[in-house]
Amino acid sequence: MFPANIEQYVRPQSVAEALAACAGYDAGEAMFIAGGQSLMQAMKSRMARPRCLIDLQAISELKGICPDEGAFHIGAMTRYVSIANDERLTGYFAALRDAAQHVGDRQVRNRGTIGGSCCWNYVASCLPAVVMGLGGEMKLQAADGSQRSVAAEDFLIAPLETARADDEMLLAIRIPQPAGRGGSAYKKWGLVKDALPVVGVCVAVTLDSNDRCATARVTLAGLSAGAHRATAAEQALVGTAGDAAAIAQAFDAAANAADAQGDKWADVAYRQNLIRTLGQEVATSAFARAAGRQE
Amino acid sequence: MQTVTIKVNGEAFKESVPERLLLVDFLRERLALTGTHVACTHEGVCGACTVHLDGDAVKSCLMLAVQADGHEITTVEGLAKGDELTALQKAFREEHGLQCGFCTPGILMNMTDFLKHNPNPTDDEIRMGLIGNLCRCTGYVHIVRAVRTAAKMLAASAA
Repeated sequence: MFPANIEQYVRPQSVAEALAACAGYDAGEAMFIAGGQSLMQAMKSRMARPRCLIDLQAISELKGICPDEGAFHIGAMTRYVSIANDERLTGYFAALRDAAQHVGDRQVRNRGTIGGSCCWNYVASCLPAVVMGLGGEMKLQAADGSQRSVAAEDFLIAPLETARADDEMLLAIRIPQPAGRGGSAYKKWGLVKDALPVVGVCVAVTLDSNDRCATARVTLAGLSAGAHRATAAEQALVGTAGDAAAIAQAFDAAANAADAQGDKWADVAYRQNLIRTLGQEVATSAFARAAGRQE
Repeated sequence: MQTVTIKVNGEAFKESVPERLLLVDFLRERLALTGTHVACTHEGVCGACTVHLDGDAVKSCLMLAVQADGHEITTVEGLAKGDELTALQKAFREEHGLQCGFCTPGILMNMTDFLKHNPNPTDDEIRMGLIGNLCRCTGYVHIVRAVRTAAKMLAASAA
């Protein structure tokens, strides 16, 4: 397998240059390529047939993880390997590392990027669910130079669909620092180790001064809706001490409310069971991290 | 068509290539470096085409030759210096780390990079590191043993 004919390949040095490269092409004819670990497969299967490929590899402002007044600013072209190895991503930010450490395999992590994953928004993928779970804000720039910020849950519309316009580029993802002590975790179950999630669960909580759950965000990955919030579990966690009974109840609620569909790999009951068991494990870990307890 | 200059195993190659040419096909068909293998018909799942891009193990079927313009590629042919095998290559021979050998070039390239980052790995870490390389003969037991042996050989030679 190899891609359909590509008329033009460009490697811009700046965001403005990259956006200018889209001019003259109809919607969808010019595509940005980040790490290419999904797009190259889509091009080889001819699902994607870009006339022009705009390679973002040389734009240094799109790379790297910067602390930003307690929040983290993660460039769209930051590779999984950089997130996986960044020891500053603890507590509320720890789910990013949980996910990045187990995407695909070493070779994929050496090239794949967080921005590419979120813009592709594959139905079964880890980073979109984590970015949504942590309340990430997507920073975008349009061809006219204007910038906007979109909440991850508004950006990630549905599988393979985002709020990004064709001539708009994702610059970075900002993960805000919540008020109070926060902790998060992510875990998935796949058919083989580190495969795409059949189900993935991300939990992010903050604690009040009495160690009660002040806020909770729970997202699911791998179901047919793609990354989405499990509000039933969120509501059930708020106000609890994050004890085993409260967590079990929350993920019973999440499993019952989930729009799970069976396939030959995992039937509905099995997927619901995965939501329960992974959810309990992940929530326990998120509470422990928020409280600063050793795991 | 686009003219690219790619340094492969230390030697710079200037070639005119179609934009859609995969890096793995550039290496195999243009440069006749057929040590880099294709096992999963370019689907990006088998790891047999693993090469180093500026030192990092990547799958050469998941990138275009034009994307490698200006970069350094190392293939399995670039590991040994003449007849002098690397520690990892010697360990694969000593531990019988292969049967048919088809997956071996990709595994050598991935594990060379792996051992640079983790010179003293546990068996579990080796197995986790091998997730991106399919071997359908060995069951991995001898491959894991070979990587462990290579780590010991490298540690002994550094001491």
